[in-house]
Amino acid sequence: MEFIADFFVRLLTQFQTPTLGFLIGGMLVAAMGSNLKIPNAVYQFIVFFLLMKIGLKGGIEIREADIAAMALPALFALVLGVSIVLMGSLLFSRLPGINREDGFATAGLFGAVSASTLAAAMVMLEEESIHFEAWVPALYPFMDIPALILAIVLANIHRQKQDDQAINKVDVGSIIKESLQGSALSALLLGLALGLLAKPEPVLASFYDPLFRGFLSILMLVMGMEAYARLNELRKVAHWYAAYAFIAPIVHGLMAFGLGYIAHLWVGFSPGGVILFAVIAASNSDISGPPTLRAGIPSANPSSYIGASTSVGTPVAIAICIPLFIALGERVFPI
Amino acid sequence: MTLHPVIKVVIITEKLIVKGVCDIIDHEGASGYTLMAAGGKGRHGIRNISDQAAVIDDFSDIRIEVIMQDRSRAETLMRTIAKKYFTDHAGITYLDTVEVLRLDRF
Repeated sequence: MEFIADFFVRLLTQFQTPTLGFLIGGMLVAAMGSNLKIPNAVYQFIVFFLLMKIGLKGGIEIREADIAAMALPALFALVLGVSIVLMGSLLFSRLPGINREDGFATAGLFGAVSASTLAAAMVMLEEESIHFEAWVPALYPFMDIPALILAIVLANIHRQKQDDQAINKVDVGSIIKESLQGSALSALLLGLALGLLAKPEPVLASFYDPLFRGFLSILMLVMGMEAYARLNELRKVAHWYAAYAFIAPIVHGLMAFGLGYIAHLWVGFSPGGVILFAVIAASNSDISGPPTLRAGIPSANPSSYIGASTSVGTPVAIAICIPLFIALGERVFPI
Repeated sequence: MTLHPVIKVVIITEKLIVKGVCDIIDHEGASGYTLMAAGGKGRHGIRNISDQAAVIDDFSDIRIEVIMQDRSRAETLMRTIAKKYFTDHAGITYLDTVEVLRLDRF
């Protein structure tokens, strides 16, 4: 009981933090039909900025990190990405009124990772002064890419069975290449490389660090506006997507929390790292995943998977999962 | 001034597949094409051309114009694109007769 009370108290205080406040503010502004505009170029710059900062910080830390300690969480990230897609696909295949391809695409998107949710979780952990290894965000591609590939492969196998003919084989190499070339992952990987090889500490301290939270607040505003705008699309598709989008982030996060806890016992994965890992698993891709899936599973209806992810999945991951896993972390670990 | 009648093929489709569409245009022997941001309303909903931040930029539309001398090649181009992409993606294509100044450019 105490845990649930703690979670709700935390949830209420979180609503006042800039991160969640701006997200909800964005939804309200969009709901009122306001003409407030954040230019696309600004949004894209912010995504670059946030991931560059996360990458730089991660890269600097990896220099001194014990590579062996990273291996197990990385393996768990991969296992989670794959199992989330398998679970989701199986679930959607059992539900009535669901187009199978839409189900694969939705499961793929929820197995993939959201950069904005990741950034929001990092700020919230820092506000709570909970330490985490700066390389945890580098686990992103280990979960993201296998999930997207598996969803596309499953959808194509399904389609081939249906048409009873061999249509174009899935080019796994080009999916990996496109994922890595996507704007979010490119910025993260470039940041990691610069952090690892160059000495970017001064620019991190004077530019990236001070502006991080401010830019994140604008990104949250954009995410909120987009979430409301896409709600209409979600209304047109089966309600199962909305239900899945609400429950799945919590379930996926709990699974990751369990695996993270094992890593904590075995290789000393930090409590903050476990919480962040759970949030990464809870998040669903909003920037780079949708175009990859649209290209890989063109017959799936984007309204179902993007509506589910942007309108429900991302707000749930940010507003419910982050405070939930912080509360859970404080219960499980003596932080 | 002498103007020459030629065929202009217009394709309005998703930005996401523009590379594939342009490859087909090259393959059909067009000497070039023009790309423009496009938006509007259709079966796949409303797409804006405002510079409002779009989390998923690849889902906006694009308008491609190709000028060709030979009508049958233009029709083949339209058919090939429609066959490959328009089952799963938003897209319309039409042609028009226009007059150009420098015929040797096309």
